[in-house]
Amino acid sequence: MSLKLLRQGLGGRPPRMWHDRPLKDHYDVVIIGGGAHGLACAYYLAADHGITNVAVIDKSYIGAGGSGRNTAIIRSNYLTPEGVQFYDASVKLYEGLAQELDFNVMFSQRGHLTLAHNDSSVRTMRRRAEVNKLQGVDSRLVYPDELARICPQLDLSDHPRFPIQAALYHPPGGIIRHDAVVWGYARGADQRGVDIHQYTEVTGIDVANGAVTGVRTTRGNVSAGIVLSATAGWASNVAAMVDLPLPLDTFPLQACVTEPLKPILDVVVVSGSLHVYVSQSDRGELVMGASIDPFTSYSVGGSLDFLEGLAGHVLELFPFLSKARILRQWAGLCEMPPDFSPLMGITPVDNFLIDAGWGTYGFKASPICGKTMAELIATRQTPALLRPFRLSRFAEYDQVGEKGAASVGH
Amino acid sequence: MSGRRLPAQTGESLDRGQPLEFRFDGHSYQGFAGDTVASALTAAGVNVVSRSFKYHRPRGLLCCAGHCPNCLVQIGDEPSVRSCKRALEAGMDVQPQNAWPSLDNDLLSLTEAASRFMPVGFYYKTFHRPRLLWPAFEHVLRNAAGLGVIDENTPEGDYDKQYLHADVVVVGGGPAGVSAAVAAVDEGARVLLIDENPELGGHLRYSRPDAVAHARIVDGQQRLLQSGGTILNDTAVVGWYEDHWLSAVRGNRLFKIRAGAVVVASGAFETPSVFAGNDHPGIMLGTAVQRLLHLYGVVPGHRAVVVTANDTGWAVAADLLAAGVNVAAVADERPQLPVGTDIEALQAAGVTLLPGSTIAAARGKSGVEEVTLVAVDGSSGSHVVRCDFVALSTTWVPSAELAYMAGARSCYDDELAEMRLDNLPDGLFLAGRVAGPCSAEQEWLQGARAGAAAAGNTDDLPIAASQDVQATARSSALVAAPDVGGDKRFVCLCEDVTDVDIETAIAEGFDRIELLKRYSTVGMGPCQGRMCGLNGIRLCAQGTGKSVQDTGRTTGRPPVTPVALGVLAGQKMEPVQLSAVHDWHVDQGARMMVAGLWMRPEHYGDAAAEVRAMRQTVGLIDVSPLGKLQLTGPGVAAMLERLYVNNWQDLRRGRVRYGIMCNDEGVVLDDGVCARLSDEQWYVSTTSTGASGALEWMEWWRQSGWGDGVHITDLTETHAAFNLAGPQSRALLQTQTDRDLSNDRFPYMRARRADVAGVPCLLLRIGFTGELGYEIHCPAGYGRYLWQRLIDAGADFGLRPFGVEAQRVLRLEKAHFIVGQDTDALTDPISADAAWAVHLDKDCDFLGRRALTRIATDGPRQRLVGFRTGRRADSLLEGLQIVQSDDRGKPQIIGWVSSCRFSPTLQETIGLCWLPAALAERSEATFHIHVDGRLEPARVHHGPFYDAEGARLRG
Amino acid sequence: MLRLECPNCGVRNTSEFRYGGEQNPRPTPSTEVADADWIRYLYERRNVMGVQIEWWYHRAGCGIWFLVERDRRSNIVARTWRWQPDGAAAAEGSHSP
Repeated sequence: MSLKLLRQGLGGRPPRMWHDRPLKDHYDVVIIGGGAHGLACAYYLAADHGITNVAVIDKSYIGAGGSGRNTAIIRSNYLTPEGVQFYDASVKLYEGLAQELDFNVMFSQRGHLTLAHNDSSVRTMRRRAEVNKLQGVDSRLVYPDELARICPQLDLSDHPRFPIQAALYHPPGGIIRHDAVVWGYARGADQRGVDIHQYTEVTGIDVANGAVTGVRTTRGNVSAGIVLSATAGWASNVAAMVDLPLPLDTFPLQACVTEPLKPILDVVVVSGSLHVYVSQSDRGELVMGASIDPFTSYSVGGSLDFLEGLAGHVLELFPFLSKARILRQWAGLCEMPPDFSPLMGITPVDNFLIDAGWGTYGFKASPICGKTMAELIATRQTPALLRPFRLSRFAEYDQVGEKGAASVGH
Repeated sequence: MSGRRLPAQTGESLDRGQPLEFRFDGHSYQGFAGDTVASALTAAGVNVVSRSFKYHRPRGLLCCAGHCPNCLVQIGDEPSVRSCKRALEAGMDVQPQNAWPSLDNDLLSLTEAASRFMPVGFYYKTFHRPRLLWPAFEHVLRNAAGLGVIDENTPEGDYDKQYLHADVVVVGGGPAGVSAAVAAVDEGARVLLIDENPELGGHLRYSRPDAVAHARIVDGQQRLLQSGGTILNDTAVVGWYEDHWLSAVRGNRLFKIRAGAVVVASGAFETPSVFAGNDHPGIMLGTAVQRLLHLYGVVPGHRAVVVTANDTGWAVAADLLAAGVNVAAVADERPQLPVGTDIEALQAAGVTLLPGSTIAAARGKSGVEEVTLVAVDGSSGSHVVRCDFVALSTTWVPSAELAYMAGARSCYDDELAEMRLDNLPDGLFLAGRVAGPCSAEQEWLQGARAGAAAAGNTDDLPIAASQDVQATARSSALVAAPDVGGDKRFVCLCEDVTDVDIETAIAEGFDRIELLKRYSTVGMGPCQGRMCGLNGIRLCAQGTGKSVQDTGRTTGRPPVTPVALGVLAGQKMEPVQLSAVHDWHVDQGARMMVAGLWMRPEHYGDAAAEVRAMRQTVGLIDVSPLGKLQLTGPGVAAMLERLYVNNWQDLRRGRVRYGIMCNDEGVVLDDGVCARLSDEQWYVSTTSTGASGALEWMEWWRQSGWGDGVHITDLTETHAAFNLAGPQSRALLQTQTDRDLSNDRFPYMRARRADVAGVPCLLLRIGFTGELGYEIHCPAGYGRYLWQRLIDAGADFGLRPFGVEAQRVLRLEKAHFIVGQDTDALTDPISADAAWAVHLDKDCDFLGRRALTRIATDGPRQRLVGFRTGRRADSLLEGLQIVQSDDRGKPQIIGWVSSCRFSPTLQETIGLCWLPAALAERSEATFHIHVDGRLEPARVHHGPFYDAEGARLRG
Repeated sequence: MLRLECPNCGVRNTSEFRYGGEQNPRPTPSTEVADADWIRYLYERRNVMGVQIEWWYHRAGCGIWFLVERDRRSNIVARTWRWQPDGAAAAEGSHSP
């Protein structure tokens, strides 16, 4: 048992993890968006570079957006070498995150299966596996005999509409307690002097001579050396404050959980053809989701169509789950870029940086995105890992080809 | 202990003439038809029904209304059944959850001894050092978590769905709901009244029998049915979605209901109060006691303490007294005892009545044995009272989940200590207790007004103000009872969260209600915050010094009550498309494969033999899934000119041309052949999997400005298509048609109409497979017949049907790419080795022109090119990467294999791959494919692998 | 559940339709448009948190592509109409669906 718990158990009062502080007149760095990305960037700015005059500003509570609404799957088995390298670095940071933050984020590397139901998916999975292997990522194609050992619960018979022909198996993939990642970074940043301002909405961004000079908020105006928008889902609206159009469209992404059940499913199971992914959390809930909604929206009300479709597809894979009950459904916002790869780094507006375009794959990038964005801010040099994801790639006709593998990108 | 079952009660739901045997936790019990599992267990003297989530504390019935987690049991293969709502059936095998080895002796209840070291969020603060041990810790945590058990042998079950439509849907069949439904039907509306119980009546069913009120319900029900209204009993409305789209569940059926307007008349429910040991079995809500008493003729014990803050508790106490229960004490939080007949009866019976008092602690072993009652203001001493159950009637919460989902806002009424709703969306109305305390008469009046308004009557119907009943209905103002020490004070029973946990979490910084919920897990369990929601908010407000209103509430999300996956899924209906010849393929033993929505024959046993037969004699493949579009009108050529990268204006009648369709990024969307049948009539084929997308794309351009004089008819599903190919195909086909098929009259890349075996067909002489061949398109109704005729006639020519696999090999031998396999979402035709099809010099501003002009100028970075190996290399597979060693000898990815097969014709493995343009341009250049750590060599090959000049196609 | 009024078929469930994206006219002639305008057409989106004019296709119905004015915060549809070559919405085609 940890000493902290011992002290607390013997009557000690646990320390506050972060504080509400007054809004200063000036910050060297203002980060808009208190999700895992913004908080991670603030943390690494302070921890790696000693930059502590930093504010993280969120219009709601920390982790209210995608960070608290995703289904907490971590993996690095992407299709493009750029994507694989980036996410592999993220997984490695996740592996040591609980120790780094001294906060158990419950990273559970239970293994991740992406099912292939037809020959073209088998081909795509093999392509991903090969790219992964060559980048040093543990990932391989497995066939039904081995699949039956990895996930005996799957219906591997040939009668379903979508028979399972093979799967991409990625042992280091898994799940995590997503809120804990937010809180861990928030605590780490707060301890190092970063100000976290919840329920503070940015209403405008000041620009002079082509450069950002500060932000206006519902609690007052702040001058800023650098402004970073880390507001996936709403990035177009923040960028519009500096008249910067982005190649993004925002879609709801829905998910749901069942009532808590005794352990039944060890690995994370994803099926692109069926637009479904399933894992079981440490609390015992089956956490399930589908692909993005069929039309753009900022409404997160959720739909019955989603529940019906998802239930049918889950039962296609696991017919015996028919009596498990859905407890809660919710939705988050995903902004999709044309090539299904994020937009990170500098923009045509000086001192205005973006961390956007996170589609359905943002949470799993939080640590590496925060770390590399912090490096960019501290050194004014775009780190090599970020270069492929620069905003200017569209004007340069140099997109990242992640779209090839993306149908359900969880 | 026995004697909990009372003599027959007026209005009870039991059939006492029909006893039912069932088992619980290994013991046999008896109940009656009409019992719920929980009422039968209570009657049988069972107090402990479950074990709690974290501390494994024994738990008994609390709400008897399907909300709380305490009565969750496993019944057979069904986990987490709310036993208080489930009708008892003979032979039921009911098991407790989360208890091992038994409910009475649960090993994990020992965890409570260490609970002081397991404060809120403890798992975030430990188990991560050393890192390597976390998986072991996690294993233990995982096995301790979870409640119900999934049986992997659970059958799929029979589920279905039904659509319903109504002008007005009324949710809740109590007085307000019945009144609303009648009013709406009187206005001429189509009305659907939905109630979760087997009978209408709402709270009247379980409150003291009232013949007048009951008669009014019966009368309303009759009027409703006579006027054409519909009543759904035993049906729970579980979701509200945009545009008043409701989901409701009865048994294994999901109702999907389109409502013009919705009246929410779902009442209110009680929640427990926060005091020491408030989770002991025997401590239950007043309405739970009333339900047991009046519906099932059961009392949960023989010596009661009633705790209240309003008049409902007094009714409970009086009912218990009348049922012969020894009421030991009644504590009312209000400083003055109210006046009424109930109190007089209790006073007459000598019951201890304690105004200004409430419960502060409960103690007992496997159930409550005594309670401490204290003055609310701490002014006087405490009373310790022995009892075997407690009825809590302190706090009411509106059943407003649907209204919240629809966007209603909550506002806290400090006077009432209750949430009220405002900001109701258009078309949603509240009636009865859900809208706040109201008298019996007001329920009817509110219902009538809401029902009429929902039906479109906007007259302001008279309604009495509800102020006069507020004093008798207000909820407890106490956030928690005075702290007298002792046992844990639970806020959230689902997750075993205590008031100390809440305080601690707030102190740690989780001082916003949403953060508090996520960290403490308050409200995240099976009851979704119904039992703890208000207490959690009030404790958060108290801990942060904010008002309850400013504290807000967490977002309510569907479903209202948990819904089984099977119910949501309904019948399994995954559609497939079958060609007209499907049965023949299956009869012939074809191995069928999924191709988009279609089922297609992959092969008929030996794909290599099918390839050889086609090359040597003749083969026949069913290509019915091809997209088939008929374009007519004077503007077709101009439109195609803009949609495809090729030239079309110059295509003469009767000719066929291969075309590629791109978007403005220059990305290949689709390909196929277009035949010009007459000046204004065209026949366009698209890829099979891209057929619907291609149609939608073409329709969009047609309908948004480029389609003057163009009409598109989709023939994909109405027409079958077969490809008859091979050196003998002409001879074979000639036996079935009078049309002269000679090369002169019907050359390569021509289209002709012809009767084949008497069937009107369109023949396209094209050659995806590289041999003389004819694509035969006919109305699907003739497809099976025509196929059979060709098969029969083919016997003399060595005809062999072939499947998708052989076709893939055949097209690969000709180095044709497949859109979606060799190309992806960023591939342009120039890079894909189809620059010959791109006509940048066209007159029109075609889709992709700008991008392709740039690519043509800059040159592609990667190119699709053929490769050969000179050997049989079965280890080469599609998706493998092409590598080059860097300075340090580490393999770097430079390309990948998109198509690869052993060619039976060429007797070597060939393929298509993506390579850097400079390498791809060098014919015969050697490169290496990475296979399991080995490097397999291959050579660049330009052009078709087979019959490079195309003589066989044209002959 | 959102319903849409098809200009031909009347009010139908959204599940019958396919969303076709924000209205985004194609600049012409494509080869002479300024780089910035071309990139805007190809990639950049208003993605507005408010009212958007967008394309929908009646896939399971009559096959019409039509225009819809929808508030993307609430999904409330203000109006739907048929594209007209001479109307306010006229353009040489709009953005690809």
